Amino acid sequence: MPRSSGKGYRQRPLRRYGFFIAIAGLLALLLLQTSPRLSEGVEPIRTAASDQLFHVTRPSLIDRISGASAKERRILELEARVRELAQYKALALTMAERLEVYEEILNMQGEPGGAEVTARIMAETDGPFAEALLANAGATNGVQEGYYAENDRGLVGRVVQVGNRSSRILKVTDFNSRVPVMGESSGLRAIMFGGRDGMGRLIDLPEQGQFLPNERILTSGEGGMFPRGVVVGHVRGETDKEVRVDLSMLTGQLSYVRLKPTITITAPEESPVETDLAELSEEDGS
Amino acid sequence: MNGLSAIPDWFALRWANARPRSRLVIGALVVALIGLIGLTPKSFFGVPLAWPYVGLSAAGGWGRSGRGFGPMVFLLLFGFAQDASQAPWGSHALANLLTYGFSAMVTQMADTERTPLLSFALPVVTLFFGIALVWLTASISSGHLVRITPMLTAYFATLVVHMLISPLFNLRARRVGGGVSV
Repeated sequence: MPRSSGKGYRQRPLRRYGFFIAIAGLLALLLLQTSPRLSEGVEPIRTAASDQLFHVTRPSLIDRISGASAKERRILELEARVRELAQYKALALTMAERLEVYEEILNMQGEPGGAEVTARIMAETDGPFAEALLANAGATNGVQEGYYAENDRGLVGRVVQVGNRSSRILKVTDFNSRVPVMGESSGLRAIMFGGRDGMGRLIDLPEQGQFLPNERILTSGEGGMFPRGVVVGHVRGETDKEVRVDLSMLTGQLSYVRLKPTITITAPEESPVETDLAELSEEDGS
Repeated sequence: MNGLSAIPDWFALRWANARPRSRLVIGALVVALIGLIGLTPKSFFGVPLAWPYVGLSAAGGWGRSGRGFGPMVFLLLFGFAQDASQAPWGSHALANLLTYGFSAMVTQMADTERTPLLSFALPVVTLFFGIALVWLTASISSGHLVRITPMLTAYFATLVVHMLISPLFNLRARRVGGGVSV
């Protein structure tokens, strides 16, 4: 190893004074960086160097084999998603409060509520309907025929048969299923049934107006089978005769569903207001 | 068992007979390895760990063998690698080189080999000098005095690591039969 007192140092002045030259050079470099313009020029180099260093410290081979890096990445993704959703939750709560106030101001009758049941899907059955699910909640749990089923993404179907401890749900993907729907933005109404490709098909389209591309499709609430505003999916494409719908429920999990009641609004003549005949005759006499 | 117990002796003999250039490369590899591990997140049961300034450790260790061109080049490279994160370019390299020069100067001035107390105190002082330089550079570049506590924890971490790996920075090759060759 060459040393300051060695032969090599006497022969090569660069080596002898290298230390001091390096110190002077580094001081000059530090002083030059006090100039903002030069600092801006240096920043891309720093970024590139940082990227390279980060690249070196990426998950090790052991982490990759054991799957630890993938899990860590997934956790980070989920944490970011939770943070994002927390903002939406706060926004949704605020909006819900505002909606409640507006409905109160307008004296509006909102969607009727009722007892809800969360049920686990036990099996897909081959019953009378091609697309049916068997849920582990029945009459003893308060489930009644006509309840609609929803998962974390959207409408799943409607309860068509109820046992004591189980119920059969007709999925909206079934060909026999009919769901009155509407476009969220266009407001157009249509009837949706299940296609063979697992997508929804819209029929009875209005003569005027068209569903918008990628528009969300919600239940319209007409007919009283489903409440208004439950997410069904979004428009995938449109042909001359029908509109295809990507069903939201397929993107979520189907292990658990929420069974909710649909309160049927009866016609006035079916449940007339009972008035006292004597009062009526008195009013007629006066 | 004899075979196993002979392994450290074999390594010691190999290290004793290793040429300065080989020692320099091995020391540099150790510094690079510790530095790279230091780039990854480090915590112990959720408590963040202070990581040593292993470049300063190498500077102090190599400096005890006198000034040379090879160690300087490595110290410059390590310094620039450390600067890649946030520090102004050249700040860590300057601290490394000055620590190296300081260590070499003190070793040249005092007979550290024959004075055990000095031999123990030299790395303590040298590394403190290096950490103080880093703190000073950081304070000047940021325009205010930066926090001392993280620097002190890093200093103690550096000191502990230096005591463990300092033999790897000894560039003086000993030939069998005594004598130091350079």
